[in-house]
Amino acid sequence: MPHRFPLNTDKAPNAVLEVILRLKVKDAMSKTIFSAKKNDNLRQIQHIMRDKGVTGIPILEDDRLIGMISVNDIISALDYGYINEPADNYMTKSLIVLEDDMPLSFAVSYFDKYPYRRFPVINKEKKFVGMISSRDVLSALLHELNNEITELENKLNNGRNDVPGSITREYSIQKFDFENAGKASFELKKILKGLNASRQVVRRASVASYELEINIAIHSNGGKMRFEIDESNIIIEAVDFGPGIEDVDLVVQEGYSTANEWIRSMGFGAGMGLSNTKRVADEFEIQSELGKGTHIKSIIYLGGRDEA
Amino acid sequence: MRPNVSISDVVAAVEGEMIFEGESNTVQWVVSSGLMSDILTTEEEEILLLSNLNTTQLVRTADMVGANAMMVTSGKPIPDDTVELAKELGITLIRTKYPVFEACHKLSRLFFKE
Repeated sequence: MPHRFPLNTDKAPNAVLEVILRLKVKDAMSKTIFSAKKNDNLRQIQHIMRDKGVTGIPILEDDRLIGMISVNDIISALDYGYINEPADNYMTKSLIVLEDDMPLSFAVSYFDKYPYRRFPVINKEKKFVGMISSRDVLSALLHELNNEITELENKLNNGRNDVPGSITREYSIQKFDFENAGKASFELKKILKGLNASRQVVRRASVASYELEINIAIHSNGGKMRFEIDESNIIIEAVDFGPGIEDVDLVVQEGYSTANEWIRSMGFGAGMGLSNTKRVADEFEIQSELGKGTHIKSIIYLGGRDEA
Repeated sequence: MRPNVSISDVVAAVEGEMIFEGESNTVQWVVSSGLMSDILTTEEEEILLLSNLNTTQLVRTADMVGANAMMVTSGKPIPDDTVELAKELGITLIRTKYPVFEACHKLSRLFFKE
């Protein structure tokens, strides 16, 4: 067995995981397909292969896939002298197929699992809609990864070309990723120290940010931390992709927690997070919609609190 | 006025083990909890963060509240990544064999002068 494709792993970068889950089989498959009927003889099929430069021909009855003839079948037919016989008797009838709505990661794992070089694709109505080869997968992935990486590079450059007097940063936070949760806040802290913000301001901003970041890791399906620092404000935003909060007033109460024992064993879930964020922030706003997500914005004045 | 207690006195009081010696030589107060978000609510300065937690989040929390030192209780083994992060952020890391309650008791003599 050749080595497995190193694509569908837990450790793949998020950009790659997103791509192989977002892309569907139908986005990568070839739709221009040369097919044959079961009564066509193998000689005719051999000619289609030769003329069109393909190595596998689906056999269709109406729109339904009933078999496949491969180059190997043709070689055998030539070898044993039945090349003029109809495809029906010699085609492979038990087929491994993919559905057009499956994520591309399925196709990748099928190439790992089975020795075939291409798979027929059917839709929900079981109609034959295309073929997918490893070449198709490769081409679709490269195309999409190019786009994705261009976007990431643009984002990085954005960060470098901040408007004078303003800094923006964005970090994505994964669900239950306690190993990395806190890194965004650490970066914020570094930036603020670099700006010579007062100790109190650095501390309050770090605490607000860290609480929100940990919250995304514990409670959401993943999300983003966004920082914007201008001449007078540190704006810390936490945006997640759900599941949303039912009672927003309740969650900002001290001690209210929905965390389970497992979360607590890691030192979180005291039910202080949001009330603490609110405490250290000069402005605090929370919006949430069930099924959609939560958006929290907390602002800390760069110049410190007005003591008057 | 909080007292300035030297890290070496702290280590001696709990028969502790210096895992990593950071930048600060003193602490002024002790904040203890097993829950990091409890610790994040403190407004104390120059603290020793005492906890039964030994993960990297202990170090991150210490960093966020600007703690001078951390102490892991009950002689818990400390994972390598925790030690590495403590070194990276320059925060002193101490381990004691005593559980939280006993460790706090032994330390209290250094901080409460009566």
